[in-house]
Amino acid sequence: MTDQPLDNHAALSLTGLARMTFILATASLGVAVLCGLVGQVGLTWNTFSARFLRLTAAATVGAALASGGMALQGLLRNPLAEPYILGISSGAGVGVLLGLAIAAKAALPNWAMTPVMALAGAAATCGVVYGIAQRRGRLDPYVLLLSGVIVNAFNGAIMLSIFLLVPPRTIARFAVWAMGGVSEALAITNIPLLSGCAVAAVACWALLVFRGAALNTLGLGDEVAGSVGVPVHRLRVEVFALVSVMTAAAVMLAGPIGFLGLIVPHICRLILGPDHRKLAIVSGFGGAIFLMLADTLCRLAGGWLRIGEVPVGILTALCGGPFFIYLLRKRLGGVKS
Amino acid sequence: MSNSEHVLRAEGLAFEYRPGQHVLRDVSMTAAAGKLLCVLGPNGSGKTTLLRCLLGRLAARAGTIMLDGKALAGYSARSLARLLAYVPQFPTSAFAFSVRELVLMGRFAHTGPMGLASEQDLAVSRQAMMMTDTLDFANRMLSEISGGEAQRVMIARALAQQPQVCLLDEPTSHLDIKNQLTIYRMMVRLAHDWKMAVICVSHDVNLAARFADELLVMRLGRVLADGTPQQVLNQGVLQSAFDVDIDLVHPPDGGIPIIRAH
Repeated sequence: MTDQPLDNHAALSLTGLARMTFILATASLGVAVLCGLVGQVGLTWNTFSARFLRLTAAATVGAALASGGMALQGLLRNPLAEPYILGISSGAGVGVLLGLAIAAKAALPNWAMTPVMALAGAAATCGVVYGIAQRRGRLDPYVLLLSGVIVNAFNGAIMLSIFLLVPPRTIARFAVWAMGGVSEALAITNIPLLSGCAVAAVACWALLVFRGAALNTLGLGDEVAGSVGVPVHRLRVEVFALVSVMTAAAVMLAGPIGFLGLIVPHICRLILGPDHRKLAIVSGFGGAIFLMLADTLCRLAGGWLRIGEVPVGILTALCGGPFFIYLLRKRLGGVKS
Repeated sequence: MSNSEHVLRAEGLAFEYRPGQHVLRDVSMTAAAGKLLCVLGPNGSGKTTLLRCLLGRLAARAGTIMLDGKALAGYSARSLARLLAYVPQFPTSAFAFSVRELVLMGRFAHTGPMGLASEQDLAVSRQAMMMTDTLDFANRMLSEISGGEAQRVMIARALAQQPQVCLLDEPTSHLDIKNQLTIYRMMVRLAHDWKMAVICVSHDVNLAARFADELLVMRLGRVLADGTPQQVLNQGVLQSAFDVDIDLVHPPDGGIPIIRAH
């Protein structure tokens, strides 16, 4: 048999990954420019630059949620894991709303409270969900999903309680935020928040890429992964911390957007296979492109339907719900047969 | 390579999962380079717990484990993986990697932060696959090959680590007779030809007696007997270890006796 081509097939090279990154980055930029151009006739520089900022926000949120979802699926060996489903997004959401409420009461600027509270909410939820689902370091995939459901319900209740405490005008604003959507106003007016979130998300994404090889070995089980040199416990803490930061950044920019971290990594897995080094790179760009396109579609749809704008979180949930059921059925069928 | 013959040495190990529940008591053992050591004992005798302590997964409550002249606890996961490899009882792969990619994962501790394989990594894993006769299905997935083949892939992955010590946890417990023999012969080759210290936890007294250079018999968390098969294999030791009546059937050619329980 001929071994040489097989060796080449198995070997992932730095130049290959760099080329992949370059092509996808160029494609993402192209999509951003195209999405910025569509719409309205008589486009001015101002509207284009405003849209471009908004698309930057969408790309940040998409990259963070998709690569974060990919990392959680690898870490937990569960194709259904995702920041929204595990309740990490709603945890960050509680943090954001609490931060806004406290800032309003104490007459503090928002930026002083929301990032800290969002991160704390996301990290606390990670800890709680993982704490419920693991027993002596072993994870039951269904208990994990159920603990996500429970934590989501709990966080939802806290959000509704916050609604009771704020004036009616703010409730409307919070409710729109809770649908999940990229806000043009936020992107234009709060450049420090946008750039801070973008830098944090991209930095965490890059760090996730460097955890890809370790995530691959986790498929062999914790004990074997440990024996080939992966510090399994530290890896869990690192990935949960990175995903918490990324989810907090995404939720601060766009509210809780669901299922993106499920759909995009799954499509990437179908095309690229199981290697988390490639998946981490591609799912980030895939998420950015996906959310830019979805957000543009929602912006246009709002115009056609004459209802202002459709929050993109509604679109992703409408697509993602059936997709989740499909994955769940496939997985259940696979386990039984 | 280590200067000392005795690569892995444990002394006075004690372990308990819960206070008062002693799983290991005062266990001492030595694994030497070039020798296959089989750890025998009934279920619940502490074999697997001992293995997990030797792997560094469990921290013993008392006693010391020295690997290559240094305390086991002093190694990072990465530096430990270059000296010590592990083959689990049941090979699993949650992700759809090919056999070749799985074997390459054994190079994790030898590669950079991205785990990218160099020419040398590819050569080492190919050699490991040649040794374990797994090249023929290099591009298939673990779910597409038989249990015996999958176990050989796990051994190839362990070999790719280029370890001095290889620990195997009942690697033949779910295999047919032919595959059991294949795996035992492979372990003998690793010890004798590749000069590794091979430690295998096993239920099968006959296979272990036939192939091992050294035996360690455990019962209720203690070492009941250790030494060469000739020294260890006597009726008294086996009967008290396994709690059954045992006959030793001596073959006419004077080789290792066959153990018959009844």
